[in-house]
Amino acid sequence: MQTESARMTSAAEARFRVQAPNSLPRAIVVIALDAAAADVVAKLAADQWRHATFYTAGPAGALHDLTGAPRRLDDAIAAADLVVLVAGPGGLAPAAAAVGRACSDRRVTTTAFLVGASTAPPPELSKTLAQLRPWSLMVVISEHDEYIGDMMAALRA
Amino acid sequence: MLRKEQNDLLTLTGPGTPMGRMFRSYWLPALLSDQLPENDCAPVRVKLLSERLIAFRDSEGRYGLMDEFCAHRGVSLWFGRNEACGLRCSYHGWKYDVTGQCVEVPSEPDASGFAKKIRLRSYPLVERGGVLWAYMGDAAAPPPLPEWEFATVPRSQTFASKRWQESNWLQAMEGGIDSSHVSWLHRGDLDSDPLFKGARGNQYNLSDARPVFEVVESPGGLYIGARRNAEGGQYYWRITQWVMPSFTMIAPRGTHAVHGHFWIPIDDENCWAWSYDYHPVRDLAPAELSAMRDGKGIHVRYVPGTFRPLANKDNDYLIDRAAQKAGRSFSGVEGIAMQDASLQESMGPIVDRTKENLVSTDNGIIMARHRLLRALKAFTDKGVVPPGVDPEHQKVRSAAIVLPPDVPFTDGARDVLIARPAVAPASV
Repeated sequence: MQTESARMTSAAEARFRVQAPNSLPRAIVVIALDAAAADVVAKLAADQWRHATFYTAGPAGALHDLTGAPRRLDDAIAAADLVVLVAGPGGLAPAAAAVGRACSDRRVTTTAFLVGASTAPPPELSKTLAQLRPWSLMVVISEHDEYIGDMMAALRA
Repeated sequence: MLRKEQNDLLTLTGPGTPMGRMFRSYWLPALLSDQLPENDCAPVRVKLLSERLIAFRDSEGRYGLMDEFCAHRGVSLWFGRNEACGLRCSYHGWKYDVTGQCVEVPSEPDASGFAKKIRLRSYPLVERGGVLWAYMGDAAAPPPLPEWEFATVPRSQTFASKRWQESNWLQAMEGGIDSSHVSWLHRGDLDSDPLFKGARGNQYNLSDARPVFEVVESPGGLYIGARRNAEGGQYYWRITQWVMPSFTMIAPRGTHAVHGHFWIPIDDENCWAWSYDYHPVRDLAPAELSAMRDGKGIHVRYVPGTFRPLANKDNDYLIDRAAQKAGRSFSGVEGIAMQDASLQESMGPIVDRTKENLVSTDNGIIMARHRLLRALKAFTDKGVVPPGVDPEHQKVRSAAIVLPPDVPFTDGARDVLIARPAVAPASV
């Protein structure tokens, strides 16, 4: 007689998996921390996203949406499930600490994404990493800036 | 999450599929050398990338890998006689050499030349490091031979095993780059397994169960760094290598051997999980080899005479609910390899990735898929050789290292992430 594991892992049994949605939409907030990141985020925002909002951050953590209108940091991240911090190498990413601290206070998960990393000298990369690491649960360094779009799609943004 | 068409693209590897064609760009581990131990030994059935093949070693030690079935009436050549530099079908005596060329059709006059018109599809098969490697791609353009360090060190320094996993290759491989599951599923094994225990780095693991991850592209694939706090404000890094399409090397522990995997499709619903252990600068000790053969570390014990794990779906993986309840084992399944395989097989033959809910710490998996899809597009559209074919991409090492807090690990560990003959691995 077949064991339960043998029977239930067959392709035939896969037909009976519950098809109902198994998650609620997650809100993802993407924040560009410097000028290099702002370009990437502006391009990214032009794609179709259902659950993502996009901002640029000033040095002290003051946010603007992509129309240039100011937004309060606390309001922007209040309902976020994930905040993606985007920064370029060599930039001081001065807002990282302000945004990161606000996320930490609210227990919002953060992921940092370094753009333009493929051509950056290690000292510049190092400078940015030093600012992002204390505030990031995950740091991603991709050769291709479009990876951020794939990442967001994978996370159902 | 992947769309269905993306999932199909990555998981289907039979002849003519895009991923199948890309897999055929590489030398793939096909058999252990021990499976063909001597000249004229028994042939072995091999199924790779959804193709049924037969492997044999002829009277002069040449290896052959070809279509399993005789061109005459479709009989399996597994029943064949391996004799006088060829494999002879037991049905009517047709005989084939290691290239698949038919060299004798007893019922036809020699002078007819009929045998020359019969040839089975065959693939080159070469021995390296105790493994027989097959190349199933364009015969006119074979890649350079494999240069993975575990396969190039002296045989006394390396050990490889393989086990049958009853799932698609991708969900198995993704387990190998899913660093965040280690603190859960495998907790308890670090302190007890003879191939892991005793390393100073284990204490960092156990004292910080919430590592922070960094994923960085490498020439051949990815570096996946897991960062934990160490003394003096420094970071303890464990850096895993993933090289396309399906090679991983796990960060070492102390003076133990270095280990990792290949996941090679048998067909779309089964794969070979290859596991290797090696040390770059010393022989493996008898006690280590004994533990590996006994299924410790990343290896398994087998159903005798097979490569099927002793704990498998037909015995519910010998799950021990009492051990699970008592906390001696997190899942109740014994052994690191079967802890992984039991869960990956439970997903079904090919997991439906449209329903998954990935999180931020899954970026290693997300980026691996991204790289595979990107390479697949370049390969399919423009014929670009995919990463991982170049032997320089294969000469890599994983590392465990303590670094200052502001140093990119790709910078601080740059030298130790490359395989250098006679240089010890970076390990804590």
